[in-house]
Amino acid sequence: MAGTHALGIDIGGTFTDIIIFDQSTGAVHKAKELTTHDDPARGVITGVHNALNGVVPPTEIYRTVHATTLFTNALIERKGAVTGLITTEGFRDALEIGRERKYELYDVHIAKPTPLAPRNLRLEAPERMDPNGMALKPLDEAKLLESVGALAEDGVESLAVVFLHAYANPAHERAAVAAIQAKFPDISLSASHEVAPEIREYERTSTTVINAYFKPLAEGYIDRLATEIGGLGVEAPFFMMLSNGGLTHVDEAKRTPVQLLESGPAAGALVGAYFGGLAGEANILAFDMGGTTAKLALVEDGEPHVTYSFEAAREKRFIEGSGLPVNISTIELIEIGAGGGSIAHVDALGLLKVGPESSGSQPGPACYGQGGTDVTVTDADLLLGYLNADYFAGGSMQIDLDAAQSAAQALADDLGLSATDVAWGIHDVVNENMASAARVHIAEQGKDPRDFTLLATGGAGPVHAFYVARKLGLKRIMCPVAAGVASALGLLIAPARVDRVTTVASRLDAMDWPALEEKFAALEEESAGVVTETGLDASTAEITRLADMRYVGQGFELVVPLPPGPYDAASESALLGAFEEAYKRSFSRLPPDVTAEIINIRVSVRAQVPGPGLTFQAGGGGAAEPKATRKVYFPENGDYVETPVYDRAALPAGEGLSGPAIVEESESTLVVGPNSTIRVDEGGNIIVDLLEASE
Amino acid sequence: MTDRSSTNTGKFDPITLEVLWTRLISIVDEAAAALVRTSFSTVVRESHDFSCVITDASGRSLVQATDSIPSFIGTLPRTIQHFLNEIPADKLEPGDILATNDIWQGTGHLPDISVGKPLFVDGKLVGFAGSTAHAPDIGGKIRSPEPREVFEEGLQIPIMKIIRAGEPDEGFFNILRKNVRAPDEVVGDLWAQITALELMEDRVGTLMREYKIFDLADLATEIQARTEQAMRAAIRDLPDGTYSNQVKTDGLGVPLELKVKLTIDGDEVHADYEGSSPQVDRAINCAYCYTYAMTAYAVKCAAAPDLPNNDGAIAPIKVDVPDGSIINPRWPASGGSRALTGHFVPTLVYGALAQVVPERVTAGTGSPLWSITQSGVREDGRSFASLFFFNGGMGATNLKDGEHCLSWPSNISSTPTEVIEQLAPMRIHRRVFRPDSGGAGRHRGGLGQEVVIENLSKTPTAVSFLAERTKEPAPGIVGGADGATGEVLIDGEAVDPKRQYVIDPGTIVTLRTPGGGGYGDPAERDGAAAEKDVVQGLVGGARDAAEQPARAIPASGAGGGALSRPRPGDVEHGGDRQQADQEDHLAVVRPQRLEPEVRRAQPNNKQQ
Repeated sequence: MAGTHALGIDIGGTFTDIIIFDQSTGAVHKAKELTTHDDPARGVITGVHNALNGVVPPTEIYRTVHATTLFTNALIERKGAVTGLITTEGFRDALEIGRERKYELYDVHIAKPTPLAPRNLRLEAPERMDPNGMALKPLDEAKLLESVGALAEDGVESLAVVFLHAYANPAHERAAVAAIQAKFPDISLSASHEVAPEIREYERTSTTVINAYFKPLAEGYIDRLATEIGGLGVEAPFFMMLSNGGLTHVDEAKRTPVQLLESGPAAGALVGAYFGGLAGEANILAFDMGGTTAKLALVEDGEPHVTYSFEAAREKRFIEGSGLPVNISTIELIEIGAGGGSIAHVDALGLLKVGPESSGSQPGPACYGQGGTDVTVTDADLLLGYLNADYFAGGSMQIDLDAAQSAAQALADDLGLSATDVAWGIHDVVNENMASAARVHIAEQGKDPRDFTLLATGGAGPVHAFYVARKLGLKRIMCPVAAGVASALGLLIAPARVDRVTTVASRLDAMDWPALEEKFAALEEESAGVVTETGLDASTAEITRLADMRYVGQGFELVVPLPPGPYDAASESALLGAFEEAYKRSFSRLPPDVTAEIINIRVSVRAQVPGPGLTFQAGGGGAAEPKATRKVYFPENGDYVETPVYDRAALPAGEGLSGPAIVEESESTLVVGPNSTIRVDEGGNIIVDLLEASE
Repeated sequence: MTDRSSTNTGKFDPITLEVLWTRLISIVDEAAAALVRTSFSTVVRESHDFSCVITDASGRSLVQATDSIPSFIGTLPRTIQHFLNEIPADKLEPGDILATNDIWQGTGHLPDISVGKPLFVDGKLVGFAGSTAHAPDIGGKIRSPEPREVFEEGLQIPIMKIIRAGEPDEGFFNILRKNVRAPDEVVGDLWAQITALELMEDRVGTLMREYKIFDLADLATEIQARTEQAMRAAIRDLPDGTYSNQVKTDGLGVPLELKVKLTIDGDEVHADYEGSSPQVDRAINCAYCYTYAMTAYAVKCAAAPDLPNNDGAIAPIKVDVPDGSIINPRWPASGGSRALTGHFVPTLVYGALAQVVPERVTAGTGSPLWSITQSGVREDGRSFASLFFFNGGMGATNLKDGEHCLSWPSNISSTPTEVIEQLAPMRIHRRVFRPDSGGAGRHRGGLGQEVVIENLSKTPTAVSFLAERTKEPAPGIVGGADGATGEVLIDGEAVDPKRQYVIDPGTIVTLRTPGGGGYGDPAERDGAAAEKDVVQGLVGGARDAAEQPARAIPASGAGGGALSRPRPGDVEHGGDRQQADQEDHLAVVRPQRLEPEVRRAQPNNKQQ
């Protein structure tokens, strides 16, 4: 390892963030470029060049990690390859029949998501497996190639192959891929047993088709970016961030690009876990609130919560069930239509509603003075004194306080309230929306919100954290350093990670133990191979076995961490014990005497990338003197009170302050209400402890 | 019902109310999440056949879980009100759990178990937490339309305290366990419901302490009054008048008729179902509670789809049905397959509304939901019973084509083919769209699906179905064509889907779910859309079949395209070759050729 610098590249829909971190000094070099959608590599090259700034020699970089939302955007904008699908004869419509359930009960004009492979590009091949992986009918290669030929003539560039029960036996899918490759070498291929080898054909087909949709795009893009960065003189290995918060090497990323879908947001959640860990907080509710949405992620025992299925490109953005199912391992994020730009309005019932519509960047909140007349969350925060009109975005932006005032007054007149009532109402309602989403999500995990510390990031996160925490009954808020570039920082602390899954579908009391062990061993071997290809020592990797288990008769499974292998018949009680423990943790009580079964088994292999850790130091060495005071509204006082305003960069470590207070930095503002204490820890995080509200 | 439209307690400003309301919704959603996570049956967990609700102290609904099915949204608050009628407030104490599955007081059929928990604050009853969920089994005959009286349909739970001040009634739980085929699952699901009630109780208590609310009455009045005002305003937007409509269902050999006179009078809607067919001695009777829920659902979709659900949204809707009607049967009518009748109610109401506001409704949908129930004994002696759902196509609207294969008016997911084959001795040979099954129109109706199922059980297996619209198609509106009728075939021969059959290993059952109706004149269809239909094979794929003369009894599985419609007066139906009047038909149990298997199957029905 030559240098001491790590390079992170995070391509978002609007901005490309570049971060270079010097492990030896803790120095951070940043660059922010507009994302160049026609050729994303161009913005990256400019950004890296600017971040290096002639100060850091490219050879000092020992590792490059990349995350991107480009694939998510390509999916939303439907800009992927012309994609076809080959299925088992009789099942070409599985992708479009879906699960037959409405995501919205009352909308007569409801629309299911349009499939990425239209019906005319979905053809069939005679073959059949049974649920145990026994071939009932051989693959008819001649008919298969006839179908593929027809698709090729229709311009198909990328093809998904999904046969029924391929998770149980992929032989026919493998044979089909080999036959197609030989005859149609230009068609990009994705087989379901490689992408998402899990039972439930709709979800597996959807995942495989999304993979096929991206594959040609990913192959070209990743190669080009890696080459261009090499061209700058950076000799370090190039890694891609996966949705599960792990890294992988370029070939693995190109093979199953669907794994890259959520790579950007995953990096943000990793940061939450990392800073929480440094501060000794194991259970974190990461709360990232930006301009249009807020994102929530749970970190338990230092690990971001990972889920094994999610939805992409929702037809109705915040409505569950309206998107395309994707069965990959991904850091679990809840997205809420609540951000600084969320618009307040009065609904048909005469109630104050906030969002999910957003003013966006044009015209933006009323206070931007760009002609917006709708009152937004940012306008309310400004009127409440939480934001500083003279120090907006670090003083780089001119703010029109009067415009915010008159927008709020207009809404206040509609509601028969004062402008201050409305401003606080907007703050309170948007907080309740986020707290409610958090409550339901935490309930879905069978957890108690009060066990979590709120970690606030994003432009609006620290502004809203205090009263969101109050609503959830949380005791502590953490506000990490450099919250504005949190996502890109996450790239630099990610381990290499490989997740693999296969279906077993057997009762524990009828398990073929040697076969189970063989399957686990095969997954482990395959995963270790990927780690080795990432240039790391697989023998030091941390291997976790998991299983999707349920009681016989139940419809959904719990993902259960298992004791280490190898397993044999004597392992039955240990596996059952692990399941019961997980079940009790989620549901508090065990059901009556029922047998358990394993549906899928999973292996997760993680290897830390060697190198010094990422540490920061508390900024200022000065005294904790406010730089100013201003009038700020707190509901506990029912009025504006003169409140001290601190400069975050100047706050020394350890100093104890108490709320109410405002702490400003260039990217955000931390609002702290009454009945609380504030301190800065050694790592530079601000810790706010909420005391019992005294009445 | 009280008109609260002018009521305003003045105790909640629009911001506090919004925050409290959002919180209450998150409480029922939290409870729903807990119920889904802790229940056993696929019916709750994969099909989402449940609801959670919080009501005020008089059982009027405040909030319902977002993830509820339309029928329970309408029935559950009424069930809570029945609880109160049977067990008045002064007989309730903290820790009580009330339950029932009564057809008339519950949801119209026995598998749905409704539970309620009175919520107390400082010794005062302030409201109820309630939940309904479809139990995996309730005893009695395997579900089919055959039972003639409710007694054949399983265990009936009268309104009772199954937990009394925290003490479970062991007698009740023992009786329940003894009467159902899957006691662990049934009792497990019931406990999951109880867990959900406890969670609602805990969260409501926290909310009331936090906001120093000592009674839910004012909050309830405020929520219900504002919703009712908005609902009445929405109804005022509909043109006044009385609009009549009627639909036919396949019924039992002879069609059943449902009739409505829908009156919009200022800010109220009145549905009068006078003239609908009388009740029958088969389990397709639809209790008033279900008829009411389906009417309210249809009106809400058309008038105010975005309004939140609570008592205020249904207050302006009145529903009258004569006693003894197929949609308001008298005791002891059976109702296990009530959806086969009740799911026509929204289509009936839409047809009436289509005369004045067609842009607010859909053409007829290829509902009711279809299902196949299969039961028998495995080779190893274990009994099995499975229930899988399949849906038809949605009706088109003035904005778009109908969606293919979507659950409506219910909201029940289907089960993946791979899971079906794991769970049950069945092999699915095909599961594809039915080309040409969507009614033509400016906007085309959604397509139904064809599912071809082979019975793999080496022992005789009983199968029964929920299947309708095999004779009466989903109607098009505004000049749109009807959707294709559905078909149930056994070994290629159309059969009467209302009966139970005992089938041999290797027998092929084919389900073809109906298509949705079209909207508007087909001649006005956009050229590109029409061409896309052909390119995608949604239209024109079954042209050959469609050009054959329409026959009521296809000779093989290949028959029946969009144009295959029964002729009026054609009362012949599938495998049963007897020409039967209704009386005879009701007495006939099974087709001749299946007689031997039927006898062998008798013991199966009594399996534990």
